[in-house]
Amino acid sequence: MERLQTVKLKRLGLHEYLCSLPPAILDSLYEHPATCMAVFRELPELAKYYIMRILFVEQPISKAAVSAWVKVNAKQDHNEAVKSMCSLRVWMESNLQGSASTAFIMSSIFRRNLQKALVGGGEPWSSTAHLGPDKHGKDIDSLDKYASERWEMLLHYLVGSETNSTISQDIKDLINQAGLMKQGSEGGRSYSIITAKGFQFLLLDNASQVWYFVLEYLDWVRERGMNLVPILRFIFELSFSSPGKDLPTDGRDEHVLICLQHFREMGLVMQRKRKSRRFYPTYLAINLANRANASVTNVTNTRGFILAETNFRVYAYTDSELQYSILSLFCKMLYRFPNVCVLQLTRKSIQSAVVNGITADQILHYIKANAHPDMLKSDPIIAPTLADQVRLWAMERDRLTYRDGVLYNQFLAQKDFEVLRNYAKELGALIWENSSKRYMVVTKDGHDQVKRYWKKYKKETDT
Amino acid sequence: MANEEERQLLVVIFDVNPVWWGIKSLQGQAQITKCLDCLLVFVNSYLMLRHDNKLAIIASHSTKSVFLYPAQESNQSPDPSKASTSDQAGGDCRYEHFAKVDDSVTDKFKELMRDGCEKNDIRRDSLIAGSMAIALCYIHRMQIESHGNTKLNARILVIKAADDAASQYMSFMNVIFAAQKERVVVDACILGQDSGLLQQACDMTSGMYLKVPHQDAFLQYLLTAFLTEAELRKESLVLAQSSRPREVDYRAACFCHRSLVDIGFVCSVCLSIFCQFSPICSTCETAFKPPVQASKSRKKRRALPANGT
Repeated sequence: MERLQTVKLKRLGLHEYLCSLPPAILDSLYEHPATCMAVFRELPELAKYYIMRILFVEQPISKAAVSAWVKVNAKQDHNEAVKSMCSLRVWMESNLQGSASTAFIMSSIFRRNLQKALVGGGEPWSSTAHLGPDKHGKDIDSLDKYASERWEMLLHYLVGSETNSTISQDIKDLINQAGLMKQGSEGGRSYSIITAKGFQFLLLDNASQVWYFVLEYLDWVRERGMNLVPILRFIFELSFSSPGKDLPTDGRDEHVLICLQHFREMGLVMQRKRKSRRFYPTYLAINLANRANASVTNVTNTRGFILAETNFRVYAYTDSELQYSILSLFCKMLYRFPNVCVLQLTRKSIQSAVVNGITADQILHYIKANAHPDMLKSDPIIAPTLADQVRLWAMERDRLTYRDGVLYNQFLAQKDFEVLRNYAKELGALIWENSSKRYMVVTKDGHDQVKRYWKKYKKETDT
Repeated sequence: MANEEERQLLVVIFDVNPVWWGIKSLQGQAQITKCLDCLLVFVNSYLMLRHDNKLAIIASHSTKSVFLYPAQESNQSPDPSKASTSDQAGGDCRYEHFAKVDDSVTDKFKELMRDGCEKNDIRRDSLIAGSMAIALCYIHRMQIESHGNTKLNARILVIKAADDAASQYMSFMNVIFAAQKERVVVDACILGQDSGLLQQACDMTSGMYLKVPHQDAFLQYLLTAFLTEAELRKESLVLAQSSRPREVDYRAACFCHRSLVDIGFVCSVCLSIFCQFSPICSTCETAFKPPVQASKSRKKRRALPANGT
């Protein structure tokens, strides 16, 4: 559970990061239409509507007029929208000429560039026309293949099933820092093993994985002191490019070029050689800034391969080691054939997955995302019995919670017990009591205070 | 707030009736090219809202409806020279996807205007009902294709120029009922005269009906009223409609002359409406006896002399 929250937190991190930038830098970021579009898509719905409504109106609009656009019961949405826009310096407060009332005006840089993105009238974002047609031009299929190969290699490294070292040290550092793997040592040799977070990362769908990874990358880059602004711009430009079209490497910041090499390794872009002057973004990069929660596998690289039946048998029509390792995280492997693997969802297997920090929702989401087309025909996709039972098994571990405490018993008189119990209750330190047997349990922190009180009380009653 | 699991589909039906647009441009009041430009900007803004917003544009002519976007595969192979020019994206600052949409729409539009229809077929009205039926079929197909992944929230926006044609009444009403059943919201933007049929459509599907007084502000009207989806409009926004629910003319049209009637004859088998009596219902061919007016008058005449004298 905490993993999904961290993913969501990171999403907001980008928004807050942008808010924390000084105005001059933010304005220079907005000079590029791609950033404006990316920021526009991040805003709440009502904010988007406001922006579109006054995109072509050059004057400031009074606050009263803007509040008149919404119904009374949507006031909260309105305030939220205004706040998010002002914090991003998309809207600013100003004064209406000739009256004391405050007004809103859209930042002119933002307006200009958003208009440019809509209707044109500026220079092209970047084009390789000057380089001539590409002799080694790649078509979309080979791009997709390259991207999935590289990304799978990354995931293989996470799972530890291949010890090839085609992952550079930088990426390994990044993975360690992201908390997906940790260093362990055995017999004097240090190696990396996957952590609970890493397990959860594996179960996410491709788009979310890439998004999470890129955000971690931005943090890592920030620590190394690289300039974040051109890199952000580069990322936004990538995410709005179209498949199959190449982009030039000329005229880019050196940090961006380093970043380009990293992305090339992750499979987000493809470059024929290190020194090539053009590169192709792949499908992993193209949907980056867009809703990473879009659970659409519209790219038909990964056909679903999992069939989960109501007798808790899972059939996986695949021969990839990676998929087997992921599935064996929460299923028990029964039989293995060249093209099929038969697994079973058992109580033990689910609970061992939960021990590793994976939630039932993540398991179900993974199965749904990779469901075989035959399974997609039934509605709902996963049978309710199956879904409910997985959840129940996962919840079984939550039946008991443990808390440290100190037990007080062997009271000589009922009155003593009651006095102490009331004191502990007032303190808020009482966890459990049993009046008939005169037992009570107090928290560890409260124990000292209760002991002192008891000693004082004893002294008073004895004397 | 829009549910993240839902996707939106907007189908725009653009009325390109040559007679109406020709008259208006001769009078200097409206130009179809300017209108098309405004429409393209509106469509680009819609696509900019969310990454997975889907779009279709249908042009409604006097005798046919043509998909301007997405362009259907034509029989001839794509022109290689044309392909390379679109690759360079015209050296423009637009987001490429928008540029592609714009180019595709303008190309198909030019083709439509060129080939158009025969001289004898040019009429004053456009096949709005037909276009709406095509739109509904397209929506249905999209819903099936995206089944299992996400729900599809569909809207139809009709930009009407020419006047209503009485002959389309039946098909129109059927289309409206189908849209109501499929929970498709129909919005209308009227450039010419008020259209009773579209008023009914918007009212029944809880859409928005707007009459645009002059064409200069067309884009602004589109962006203000029709950009957001129906849910957001209903809950949050205050937008003045051009027709109050009470003002909508819900009178039925008779099946024989297509004229609006308040009182008429209804077939008891198939419920079709006629303004005057006919011995056989034209829809279900049930025979009816003529009304008994003649015998009543005879009775009255016989009674009168008895009372009079």
